[in-house]
Order: sequence, then C-alpha cells, then structure tokens
Amino acid sequence: MSEKKNITDDHHHQHDHAHSHLPSDPELRVKAVETLLLNKGLIDSKTLDELIDTYENRIGPKNGAKVVAKAWVDPEYKKRLLNDATSAIRELSYQGRQGENMVVVENTPETHNVIVCTLCSCYPWPVLGIPPTWYKSDEYRSRTVREPRKVLLEFGLPLDPKVQIKVWDSTAEIRYLVLPMRPKGTENMNENELAELVTRNSMIGTGLPKEIK
Amino acid sequence: MSRLHDMGGRFGDGLIPLPRDAENEVTNFEPTFKYKWHAKAWAITLAAGALGEWNLDISRHYRECLPPKDYINFSYYEKWLAALTNLLIDKELISLNELKEYVFAAEKGTLRKFSDKDVKLDQRTWLAKDVQKTLGWGGPSIRDTNVSPVFNVGDKVITQNYNPNKDISGGHTRLPKYAMGRVGVINSYKNNHVFPDKNAHGLGENPLPLYTVEFKSSELWGELAESQNDSILLDLWEPYLKLFPN
Repeated sequence: MSEKKNITDDHHHQHDHAHSHLPSDPELRVKAVETLLLNKGLIDSKTLDELIDTYENRIGPKNGAKVVAKAWVDPEYKKRLLNDATSAIRELSYQGRQGENMVVVENTPETHNVIVCTLCSCYPWPVLGIPPTWYKSDEYRSRTVREPRKVLLEFGLPLDPKVQIKVWDSTAEIRYLVLPMRPKGTENMNENELAELVTRNSMIGTGLPKEIK
Repeated sequence: MSRLHDMGGRFGDGLIPLPRDAENEVTNFEPTFKYKWHAKAWAITLAAGALGEWNLDISRHYRECLPPKDYINFSYYEKWLAALTNLLIDKELISLNELKEYVFAAEKGTLRKFSDKDVKLDQRTWLAKDVQKTLGWGGPSIRDTNVSPVFNVGDKVITQNYNPNKDISGGHTRLPKYAMGRVGVINSYKNNHVFPDKNAHGLGENPLPLYTVEFKSSELWGELAESQNDSILLDLWEPYLKLFPN
C-alpha cells in the first residue's frame, strides 16, 4: 500500500471533501472521473467492459442454483458443502472475489436462515453475482436483524412461529449461502431440472424454491 | 466515520423496496445494474482498487467517512463514487485541479476534447486479459499466523461496549452498535483474518482470530423481540469480545 497518505485519523473530515467538487448529475460525475482515469492510463476501458459483462452475463444466481441442486441429489456433496463450502463450491469452478470464505447454512423444518449485511452490502458474488437493490437498501439492512419475520412476510414468506429463524449478519469476510429445502414432489427430477427451481431469494433466505405446479 | 452506515436494528425505515411482477408478486428478476452509470461507478471502483494503493477495508472506511448529510442523500453508487474520488485525491493518483478541469468539461459537454489524447497505460493498470484470473483469486483475508484462539466453542462472551476500535476514536470497526455490550455464545472459530480496525487505517493487517457468535434475539431486543427463539449470528474478531463470567 502507498505510504503517501495513510489515514490514521479522521483528518479528512476537517477539510473540503474532493467529492464536493463533482457535478450534481451522477451520470456526469461518473463520466468525469472515468474520462480522467482513462486519460491518465490508470484504468482501461476494455477492463471495465469485461467486468460489467462478467457480472451481467456470466456470474449470477444460476451458479448458486447449480450448487444447491447438486447438494439435493448428491448426499456426499451436501456433506462436503456443509463442512467446507469454499472447497465444495470450487468443485463447480465458482470461486474468488467476495466468495473467498464461503459458509453454507441449511434450512430444515425446524430452522430457517436469512442472510444480511447491516454494515454495508457483503454478498457471495461467485454464486449469486451482484446484490439486488433491495439487499443494499437501508430498509433491509436495518430491519432484518430486529424483525426478520415482518421482513419475510413482505417477501411473501410467512413463517410458522415454531420455526427458529437464524439471521446471519455478514460482518467479516465470510460469505453465506442458504441451502433451501428441496420442494416436495421433485423426487423424479434431475439436477438440471432442479436447478431451475432454485431462485436467488431462496439462497438468501428471503424466498423459497419454486413449487411444482 | 459517522456510523450512519451502522443501521442494524434502527427504527423508522419503511417497506423493503422489492421489485414486483404484473400480479404484484415479488420477483427475483431485476437488471444487474439499473443504469449504465451504476455499472460504470462499480467497475471504475474495482479497476481503481486493483492499482493496489488501498485495501478493501480502507475503501469501506472512506464510504463511512462521507459527511452525514451526503451519506444520507447519496444513493448506493453515488456513495461509491464519492468515496473513490476522495481516495484518488488522497492517494495522489489524481489532483484536485485535474478533477476540477474534467468536471468543468463534463458540465460544459466538452469532455470529448480529452478523448483523442495519446494514453500510455500505467504499469499498475488492470488489463482486460487479467480480469478473470484476478477475480478468480479474489482477496483472501485469512492469514497463516501462530496466533491461537482464546475462546472455545460454547464459551459465553460479552462484546465491547464503547469504541471497539482501540486505536482511533470513531475509527473503522466491524462490531455493529446493536450488538455492543451484549452476551452471546461462541458458535465457531473461523481462523485468523486481517483485522479491519487496523487495516482500514493503514496500520497493517494484524490478523486475529475470528469467531461466529450467536446472540438470542431477546438479548438484543429484549421483551419486544419478535420471537424468543430466534437468533442473530455475527462474525466478530477476538478484540471485540471478553469472556462473560458464568
């Protein structure tokens, strides 16, 4: 790390913030900073395109759905997944940024798990991609730890009072994925068909997998 | 920092802003980035971070150091961009004059005049061909150290109550307010991780034992907890915890 300016106190509270010079229109604001960094050769536009394409088209909840479906059909895989999620997820080639230390928590008839990050927006990128807007919202961050049942009801998920809720607040660099319960009536479905039932919200704990019609 | 980001348990927030389909059912589908500028603000932040001039904890701390009125008014990616701008200036990757020049041009609609400049890439610049490799590696926070954990699974612990960051008043910390001064139980030991309270201030990584600690909802919210059975689990570093006498 650079020694030019180590922030060892809150000194930057005391002078004008550089960001206050930015234009009021956020689109122009981004454009100004982007153009400056491009012209200084500090970023490369092809890198930006590659990053955006990766998370818009390649890394997302479909990855997590494959992990869940595999755990549903393969008891040995499920054991590995609950024991060492990072390695088990890497078996499917999902790994890296914001998923360096994965933990998978299993929903059962007795326990329902919900994931939140009250301090920022920590989220398991390799298996779920970039978090949806609601996950990053003040409303979800503030309320989920205090009134998870009311929050889940807003998602259309009423929980039996007898079911224990465990809320996991991602305060460090551990990233969580919920292993939802396999829906009834899916005994004859294969892994690929099952993966289609696994929704993003079911892997955060704010939803359930799709039902069989 | 303002601690406005530390909003767990806060009162006054309304309904979760959920996307809904034509039948008003909650839907799982929404674009990865709502606007092009969201994607750009996000990607620029990642690409600038890859220059290696700051770490993840420093960038979080910069977002938390935005003045309260800005923190509240800015949308998510506006916070990212504002914190990035302040970092770029503080780390002397850009100057305030350069920033003003480009902002002036952006507002006048003349940014294009800069675009045919001969650009020589900095040798630290993250190249497109390295993107997948770098993402795949990520930034692991576990460190091999000979520090042994003090607490055992099942131990009762109480969290720090005031200024969990022992070096800097109002400094960065990952112990949320709602879990300060509360009694919980060590659920598991998660190895030794870079300690954000120091790393966010450029004071080194100081890897320390990290634990998942389970708190009963009644311990956090008292008699008005939604259910006395529910629990909240947080990942907390050893200095945030003290053994609670049985």
